[in-house]
Amino acid sequence: MIVVNYLAAGALFCIGLYVVLTRRNLIKLVMGLSVMEASTYVLLISMAYRRGSTAPVFVSPPAGRSVTSLTHGGVADPVLQNFCLTAIVIGVAATAVFLSVVVRIAQHYRSIDADDVRGMRG
Amino acid sequence: MTDAGLGSLEPIAVAVPIAGAVAAPLLARLSRRLPLVVSVAAMVAATGVLALLCHRVYTGHLLVHYLGHVGPVDGHALGIAFAADPFGLTYALLTAALGTLLLLFTLSSMRELGSHELGGYACLFLLLLAGLIGSALTADLFDLFVWFEVSALASYGLTGFFLERPFAVEAAFKILVLTTIAGFGIFVGTGLIYSGHGALNLGQIHGAVTSDIRTADYVALAFLVAGFATKAGLIPFHGWLPDAHTAAPGPVSALFSGLMVNLGVFAIVRLTLQVYGSTGRPILGLVTVLGAASAVLGAVLALAQDDLKRLLAYDTVSQMGVLLVGFATRSASGVGGATYHLVNHALFKALLFLCAGSIVHATGKVKLSEMGGLARARPVTTVAFLVGAAAIAGVPPLNGYASVGLIHDALLHDHPVTYAVLLLAQIVTIAALARAAYLGFLRPREQAYDSMEKLHPGMWAAFAGLIGGCIGFGVLPDLVIRNVVAPATAWLTSDGSYAAAVLSRTGSLPPASVHFDYWSATELLTVAGTVAAGLLLAWWYIRHEEPRAVRGLRTLHNGSVNDYASYATVGAVATTTVLLIGHP
Repeated sequence: MIVVNYLAAGALFCIGLYVVLTRRNLIKLVMGLSVMEASTYVLLISMAYRRGSTAPVFVSPPAGRSVTSLTHGGVADPVLQNFCLTAIVIGVAATAVFLSVVVRIAQHYRSIDADDVRGMRG
Repeated sequence: MTDAGLGSLEPIAVAVPIAGAVAAPLLARLSRRLPLVVSVAAMVAATGVLALLCHRVYTGHLLVHYLGHVGPVDGHALGIAFAADPFGLTYALLTAALGTLLLLFTLSSMRELGSHELGGYACLFLLLLAGLIGSALTADLFDLFVWFEVSALASYGLTGFFLERPFAVEAAFKILVLTTIAGFGIFVGTGLIYSGHGALNLGQIHGAVTSDIRTADYVALAFLVAGFATKAGLIPFHGWLPDAHTAAPGPVSALFSGLMVNLGVFAIVRLTLQVYGSTGRPILGLVTVLGAASAVLGAVLALAQDDLKRLLAYDTVSQMGVLLVGFATRSASGVGGATYHLVNHALFKALLFLCAGSIVHATGKVKLSEMGGLARARPVTTVAFLVGAAAIAGVPPLNGYASVGLIHDALLHDHPVTYAVLLLAQIVTIAALARAAYLGFLRPREQAYDSMEKLHPGMWAAFAGLIGGCIGFGVLPDLVIRNVVAPATAWLTSDGSYAAAVLSRTGSLPPASVHFDYWSATELLTVAGTVAAGLLLAWWYIRHEEPRAVRGLRTLHNGSVNDYASYATVGAVATTTVLLIGHP
């Protein structure tokens, strides 16, 4: 059931967002954002799904399938899967930046509590 | 050259800065100044390439290029399209030219940095500029997301450039959290549109949502608008903006405020006017409300600041709101005025941030209450600051007069309430800048400053270029309107033309009729009235305690990243709700 996937994506997104909005620990906050990000991957991969389809690889199709049947829609949507790959790459880069900033914050403020890291306000 | 030949130049305008970004950190090993010299050269080259497109584009033609020549077949586009319409080209050219000036400024102002830092700085700066130029030229929704992320990643690095300062990493964390969430919104929105219609090309999406719009498309639009509104720093998505602008080096604040936040406005305009142009639902009303709220609240927050750069940052929030209100009128003079104001805002806000940056750099003071007497100590910077402030205030012959005047013209008869709100925002803005000019520059100061660094040639060049721009765009409004604003307005207000031209790879439109009466008594009296009211308000504000309402508003900006994310979430939920249940 693909609906389950959508529900799972929605639930993951909400859990991640809940963490971002309520946890003051910066590491947990970054983890919350990662969970939100993972939920977008689940959503997009699920949207790429087509009933009875196989992987979008046209070289040597699996038994019982011809290249023609694959090119006529018998594969999952490769564009959405590509989106995910791009987003995963961007996400990894962003997470790396995130964690290095948290390390710096920990060095400067001697704390990773968001409430201690608010020198700029007003 | 043929249109196809000119179109194929478009990717070069992005490729050159990216190549420069790769080369800069490597060249830093050879010489300390080489990375910035190469960056300036790369941006001059990009400006030159874009300038080649000007003649054709500003005579009303759209230049389309499909990367790898994978063009549309039967109206279905698989390849990534680059399309230069006058609006996009204006933003791209502005980015390239202003980027060059800011790099020149950096070249002479950041003398004390090591080669490693300068290499990284040049790399990130060029990547950000490349991302903005790419966003301006692309006609593909997913490509827009990628350029958004390129510029976002570069902006994180630039915000936290002074890694040894606690405030810089704090600001970097806030911009990271909010921009990452914005990125999710844009990503999911793009995915929803694609899975519904199998379309990413903006032209194709326009066709799909015009003929067959579904609930998912409204959700997608809401996510996209919320995401780009975060980039634009609109209230309530603005939590990151003042902190990032305060913590970054002067030229980077100028880049953020003059060019980067415009990306959000630019994308919202492209999506709401050129893609979702004819789909009903109160999207333009929503944008107007967001814009008007940002215009007023941003100005009020600016008035209350003691930190000079933070004051200018909140003023950016306010000006982005003004821009969006202008675009959302969808009338010739409103859209034209906003296009004009986008250029003007970049010029005067970059000028003001460079002034602020050079003062902070020279005196080590960031607070207005600790400054004063700068008119005597730094006369050139003072003149530059006053020119920038007067330009925002719309004092003729500077550039703000014509563009704000056009936006006001568009609102005066059809939207009197919005007009009144914008006038109020304008008065408060003038008050905020007048207060800054008085406290920082004109107020006498008891003790003298320690000896300060001189202005270097590159700083002179940047100041002169920006002041020249402010005056040039102010005294030649007819020229600008006829050659730049009118063609851009035509493509923005004529629904479907952009989409059709992108898919058929060619198209042309006659310029829209945008007219501004420079010597009209109404315009001149409006300016005189707002300036007088603004000065009075500034005078009153300096002499009185902070009003309770303003203090309450500032208390909401408590610096907590969780709270800023909550405000943005509330904004996104509200945006989605309005688009789902609202009826035109």
